[in-house]
Amino acid sequence: MTYRDRITSALDDGYRFAALYAIADRVRVVLVAPDGTLRLEDVAAEDGRVPAIVDLAPAAAWDEREAADLYGLRFDGHEPLRPLVAHDLDLKAWTVPVHGDDAYQVAVGPIHAGVIESGHFRFHVVGDKILHLDARLFYKHRGLERAAEGRTLAEGRAYVQRACAACAVSNSVAYAHACEEILALEPSAELARVRTILLEFERAWSHLNDIAAVCAGAGLAAGNTFFAALTERARRLNERLTGHRFLFDSVQIGGSALSLDAQAVAAAREELASIATDSKSGWREILFNSSFQDRLPDIGVVTADDARALGAVGPAARASGIADDARSYSTRLAYDGFAPVAPRRVAGDVQARLEQRAVELLQTFEVLDDLLDRPIAPAEAVAGGESATVGLGLVESPRGATLCAVEHADNRIARVHLRTGSYANWPVVAHAAAGNLLPDFPLINKSFELCYACADR
Amino acid sequence: MLTLLRKLRRLRTDLALPAPSRGRSLAVRHVDAGSCNGCEHELTLAMSPYEDVQRYGFGIVASPRHADVLLVTGTVTTRMREPLLAAYNAMPEPRRVIALGDCALARGVLAADTEIVGPVEAVLPVDLRIPGCPPSPPTITQALIELHDAGTGAHTTKR
Repeated sequence: MTYRDRITSALDDGYRFAALYAIADRVRVVLVAPDGTLRLEDVAAEDGRVPAIVDLAPAAAWDEREAADLYGLRFDGHEPLRPLVAHDLDLKAWTVPVHGDDAYQVAVGPIHAGVIESGHFRFHVVGDKILHLDARLFYKHRGLERAAEGRTLAEGRAYVQRACAACAVSNSVAYAHACEEILALEPSAELARVRTILLEFERAWSHLNDIAAVCAGAGLAAGNTFFAALTERARRLNERLTGHRFLFDSVQIGGSALSLDAQAVAAAREELASIATDSKSGWREILFNSSFQDRLPDIGVVTADDARALGAVGPAARASGIADDARSYSTRLAYDGFAPVAPRRVAGDVQARLEQRAVELLQTFEVLDDLLDRPIAPAEAVAGGESATVGLGLVESPRGATLCAVEHADNRIARVHLRTGSYANWPVVAHAAAGNLLPDFPLINKSFELCYACADR
Repeated sequence: MLTLLRKLRRLRTDLALPAPSRGRSLAVRHVDAGSCNGCEHELTLAMSPYEDVQRYGFGIVASPRHADVLLVTGTVTTRMREPLLAAYNAMPEPRRVIALGDCALARGVLAADTEIVGPVEAVLPVDLRIPGCPPSPPTITQALIELHDAGTGAHTTKR
């Protein structure tokens, strides 16, 4: 079977596209089945050319553009293959042409009006109405993947962690899983439990932060301040438990050094219960604030079909009715019996994405309460499976499924590729913006609350 | 909504943050020159009720035209060098520059050499360096107080 036929057959079998990356003169594609089974396909470039799969899996659009920019590959059938990571080009090269009476462009960024990461948005508008949005990111591209090449697996973790502070645990666990697959290791039950706890602590502060951000986007200062205070409490708890407000360095390959006695876990449980109570009461308050709620429905709509085609992941996808959550099939983590939740109104709009976070937050507090029922001891991975040269890890980050691929040769990293939930969802943000009013864009953007850092790497 | 405001007022009473002993004012423009998003998240929480950096008269402004201080996070990427310079040159004088966080100070930076210019001081004159990965909200507040109270001597060079 040809490369394209193999991709077609996998998609027909219900797999979804999870990543595409270049290594030397080959292209690898990772696909994930509904039960979490990962499948790796690859193809050799001929004269620097490979067949495009963007027509089969539109979610691969950014991946192919990135591989073209950073590895000099051409993707036959991907026309026009616009630059994505490469800058210093004419506007015409990287924007979609928009013509018509009164159509003009509004350029925003890379520097924004608050404490926001750098990135550029090129809006094509008529009056206040957005016709199309070209998102130009990668202002923060630090070449982290290339910088990690030639390092040992243990050294590589720092590069993946540094990709993004907000997703430090998710990215590190995805990387650790990939490395452990290479080393024929599997997490022990205790190691799986510790990592699950860390992932949920990261989700707790992230979701609190994201609810605060939507309040800020709609100008609801009291809601923003209230949820910012809860975010601060969650981050202080992170520091008390692991010594770092963003849980840095708490995930290692092959084991965990974290040790918390009965008193420490009991205190953590108590503080989490208190944060949960306060967040519920804050949520009730913003739910009954009619002028705030009036801003949320029917803007930034992403239908289920579009979400699926564009490869949306995480809370954004679930708010559009796609019940996929990597936690429900993460065999290397301790999410036994986990089932994804959904908002009352699965409308794929700003309101649904906000409520999705609120209901997930409650679930996170429950998961943590269950898992923190006993002290945490240092843990080791155990032997399992066969050693490999390529390892894959898939983890549900606060912003959606994050895939890490690691290729190992001569005891060194030959390639590491990180495709985060933010990377998957940025094209969805651009899609969601079209047809809306320009002044609603900050709110639409905040309802996704994606990281620039872990998309840019 | 009243319940939310009452809860916030109670939190403020419970925290009992000390009132500043003297009046101060600084308008801060933030520029992310290539961070991991950690410094941004901490800077955001410097404005939470637990730190409330505004009680000192410090605030984030939306334009370099309104700013006294340019607060730069991250290692400077090749792509952010020009926007960073443009923001600096748009500021009225006198103006100050803070390099916030280890990356901005070239401490333990992880990146490909070809993609970064270097620390903030490779591009702009830096008045204050705040280490940390990332610096906590109280550290950020203390640094702004230090910069404010250090007095005059602002840079006037065009870059």
